Amino acid sequence: MFFRQGRKILVALMLSLLLFTTACTATKTPGRFDQAQQVSNQQKSGQAVAKEATQGSEFNRFFPAASGEFQRVYTQEKKGFAEAKLKKDGKDLAMLSISDTKSLPTAAAKFKTSTKQINGYPAVEVGTTQTAVLVGDRYQVKVLSRDPSFTASDREAWLKKFNLNGLSKLQ
Amino acid sequence: MSKSIIELVDGLSTNNMTVSMLRSLDFVIPGQWNNLVGFENTIRTVTGEIDESIIQQVGERAIYLYNDRSQGYQRAMWLYQTVDSTDKALGAAALANKVGEKIPLLGFLNKVTPKADKAQTIDLTLKLVVELLAFCQINGIPGDSIGDFVNSLADYSGESLMRMVALVCVDGLIPFGPDFIQKALATLDKTSPQELEKNSTFQNINSDIPGSNSASKLNFIGESFNSVTGWMNDLVVSRGLTPQKVVSNLQGFIEVADDKLDYLAAFLDVSTNYYEHTGTQTLARRLIERAVAEI
Repeated sequence: MFFRQGRKILVALMLSLLLFTTACTATKTPGRFDQAQQVSNQQKSGQAVAKEATQGSEFNRFFPAASGEFQRVYTQEKKGFAEAKLKKDGKDLAMLSISDTKSLPTAAAKFKTSTKQINGYPAVEVGTTQTAVLVGDRYQVKVLSRDPSFTASDREAWLKKFNLNGLSKLQ
Repeated sequence: MSKSIIELVDGLSTNNMTVSMLRSLDFVIPGQWNNLVGFENTIRTVTGEIDESIIQQVGERAIYLYNDRSQGYQRAMWLYQTVDSTDKALGAAALANKVGEKIPLLGFLNKVTPKADKAQTIDLTLKLVVELLAFCQINGIPGDSIGDFVNSLADYSGESLMRMVALVCVDGLIPFGPDFIQKALATLDKTSPQELEKNSTFQNINSDIPGSNSASKLNFIGESFNSVTGWMNDLVVSRGLTPQKVVSNLQGFIEVADDKLDYLAAFLDVSTNYYEHTGTQTLARRLIERAVAEI
């Protein structure tokens, strides 16, 4: 009798444990980046940068020169991308970048609704820290604030210092 | 399957031996390193963005960039992990319950073996070579550009600078003493290509080191180390670093006797993975900086 009851209890316990553990697995909310991870992981190589993208080294000469108290430090140079840091008194003020939107067409698409121009090129504000222009329908030039003192108007001023016309002739 | 960049950055510890050790080296570069962990948190901190749709786009672009093997990020991660993953017998599991209490080194003296000078030298110089190679993989400068790397050391900050500080303190000053640069150079001079080939870390990363054979690879290792001796010496002199100063700061979490520094070096070697930890942070930062600029 006792044995039977004990078995019943044990079965009930096991069942509730099973329910508990499955409930735990089921309620694990998928992360916001899980889908991107899953899709991109299906390819081993070539999913992020277009074959025909321009080499980053081609972009360096169109960056604004360092002047006065501002220093320019190149930080990255990959296929389709180049980036430099803008510093003043050892402090990072902003990042300056040129990228080839051949690798990421959606980056170019956002300029279609642009209502603003900088030096004749379509310009957009992105998020809260970035200003970008699209040159020759292909190359995105961005200035990204890294210090609160570096405002949207500073970003615009530095975008104008890039050799945008030269870059437009690159392709 | 190797871990995703999200798993790697989310999996960084907030409180283990590695983190305790790095925190105790804060005195060298006060306030420069904060232990940035978590993929989403890193995006927010690096970009300063608060717009959720931008954060989503940055995260997705970073994932695509990392998963694209042609971009070199996975190779850099592998290098940081591999140079750190020699014998970790005392690793996380054995020490997990020790965090928060002061560890007496005495209790581990029979569990760790100090390395011979040659093995210690190869360790130190290979870590430096990995820094150079990973730097080039992440930032895209040709793989043997020692000059570019040395110039960029001047601009190192945050977790990258902390990694170099730990290299000087933990793999230089503690095992070799104050004249660690000269000692390492002299030992490297006496190391043969055959001896290098026997080193397990070298065996692992061998194919990533420029050079057609072990002799030319040994040469590259020597040149790389030589090129940063000026930078390391400046760091030691400008911060007044001595083994005693480093050890007295480590005393916050580990009890050490001054005559047991070779054991301390061996203990830290098997109980921490500061190269992998800060390397993951550096890589995530660069990846996110690129992603936010490209979207």
